[in-house]
Amino acid sequence: MSASPIESPAQSDTDDRLKELQFRRSEALKMGGADAIERQHQAGRLTVRERLDALVDAGSFKEIGSLAGTGKYDDHNRVVSVTPAPYVAGLAKIDGRSVAIGGEDFTVRGGTTFGSARRKGGQGGFVEDLAYHYRIPLINLIDGAGGSVTSIKRRGHSVFPGVHGFERSVELLGRVPVASAVLGTAAGGPAGRAILSHFSVMVRGTSQIFAAGPPVVKRSLGQVIDKDKLGGSSIAVDKSGAIHNVAASEQDAFDQIRRFLSFMPANVWELPPVVAGNDPVDRCDERLARIVPEKRTQAYNMHRLVRMVVDEGSDFEIQPSFGKSVITMLARLNGRPVGVIANNPMVYGGAMDAAAARKQIHFMELCDTFHIPLVFFVDVPGFMVGLKAEEEGTLREGMRAVYVAGQLTVPTVTLVIRKCYGMAGMATCNKNDIDLKLAWPTAEWGSLPVEGGVAAAYRREIMAAADPAAKEREIEAELKPYASPFRTAEAFAVEEIIDPRETRPILCEFIELAQHRLGHGVGMKTRSGVQP
Amino acid sequence: MAKVEIISPVTGTVWKVERAVGDKVQEGDVIMILESMKMEIPVEAEEAGVITEIKVEPGVSVEEDQVLCVIES
Repeated sequence: MSASPIESPAQSDTDDRLKELQFRRSEALKMGGADAIERQHQAGRLTVRERLDALVDAGSFKEIGSLAGTGKYDDHNRVVSVTPAPYVAGLAKIDGRSVAIGGEDFTVRGGTTFGSARRKGGQGGFVEDLAYHYRIPLINLIDGAGGSVTSIKRRGHSVFPGVHGFERSVELLGRVPVASAVLGTAAGGPAGRAILSHFSVMVRGTSQIFAAGPPVVKRSLGQVIDKDKLGGSSIAVDKSGAIHNVAASEQDAFDQIRRFLSFMPANVWELPPVVAGNDPVDRCDERLARIVPEKRTQAYNMHRLVRMVVDEGSDFEIQPSFGKSVITMLARLNGRPVGVIANNPMVYGGAMDAAAARKQIHFMELCDTFHIPLVFFVDVPGFMVGLKAEEEGTLREGMRAVYVAGQLTVPTVTLVIRKCYGMAGMATCNKNDIDLKLAWPTAEWGSLPVEGGVAAAYRREIMAAADPAAKEREIEAELKPYASPFRTAEAFAVEEIIDPRETRPILCEFIELAQHRLGHGVGMKTRSGVQP
Repeated sequence: MAKVEIISPVTGTVWKVERAVGDKVQEGDVIMILESMKMEIPVEAEEAGVITEIKVEPGVSVEEDQVLCVIES
């Protein structure tokens, strides 16, 4: 410090404060110290600050709350050191668009909450207020196990659940896109926070998520199980669907979040971003003419079919390893975001089971909320049948899909590729919209297929015949021609049958038309009623 | 050279094995056909490469997510 005689005491005081600000900032950047950072790296994980750098546009992170922490002072009340708050938050840009972003700093006391005047992150934290009030997407980088019993001693009492509640997290789900990455072991509050997201992703091998971890499971149930078997991606993503997607690395998780947000508007009062088309609108893929096998019991690759139609390279699949009999992906048609829901004949003929229904419900609500038109590629033989399916509540979950489809207000096109049967077929239409149903010539539909349906409906007649099997075949052959999609088109009960090769130009046209209406539907979607 | 494990999308049985170890395959080529719920399910090469292992034979039951064959891409 200069000892110049002309310097006023006030000036010197200002310099001291500037120096203190620099010092406190540098303390924040040290996080939990070199040893803790080393342990974080050895666990195969990045620090929260490295994560922020890897996820957002270079140099765009503006921290808010950088000085929050626990200061140590000497006898003269001069600050000696500051242990930063175990949460780093702020504003940043992704592809030039603003987001609110924050994450636990696991190197500081395992990312547990600390006794600040205002929570920085997690449920009810400041980072949620940033997203809420500025109407921008929220990104949670989750790496913490939530509350610690040590807080009882600090406060002198235990807190009632919900004092730091999820109200704001819940409000956000109707207002701005929320994406969460689970990057460590998440239990309790942070685990719950991850679920209250529109899109969630976790890293295979280095992240786990559960309601409670192995020690609690052992105490409660006597089960001894390691954390990866209890809540690694093969359980939480593939089996339970608690988290949507798995990532091979933290960088992959960040790339997926960036990808997800590229389809989303900043909030529900805006429209999703349209980009310049990279693929000719009139591209007619010849392979589409032959992709559906003639034999109706032969499956085909629906992923490939959809990719032949949407803008090249634009597809981003949500929940690819859960409820696999339906495929849900965000994609673009001539640069305009669309939500694709396609039945997958490779998995149990595309029959809708409870998991597939849950996945489809989430995706329909996601697209409806953010004004992303839906395109159904339909090949569904009905709900999954059998004891296991009934035990899983397929009927109820499936009807919930029908119910949610019945509340859609976003523009929707239904394209029947092959089968469209029964109640599961009803979950592929939006009756609040123009209810446009297109079909390929390979399409067939009804309340149930002629095959199989005959045996039930004509049981007496079949049983009375000298050769029941022959009688069944005879009735089937008699009814079969009526199942031709052209007869339905004659009755204008399906609006158009199209040449499969023309699928892309036709869908592009309807999605472009939909833009005129999308602007009228902006704002929050209220969904009244009681889901079945 | 990356190893790509091709897994079964369904629980069912192996109906036909159409290709053999050592065969060169293109992405989308059918390696075998499964049967499940009265549907024929083609198992396709997810990437171009050489089949280095086929772990099942016709008639055997397979579980969902079971590895059926391996391709070196």
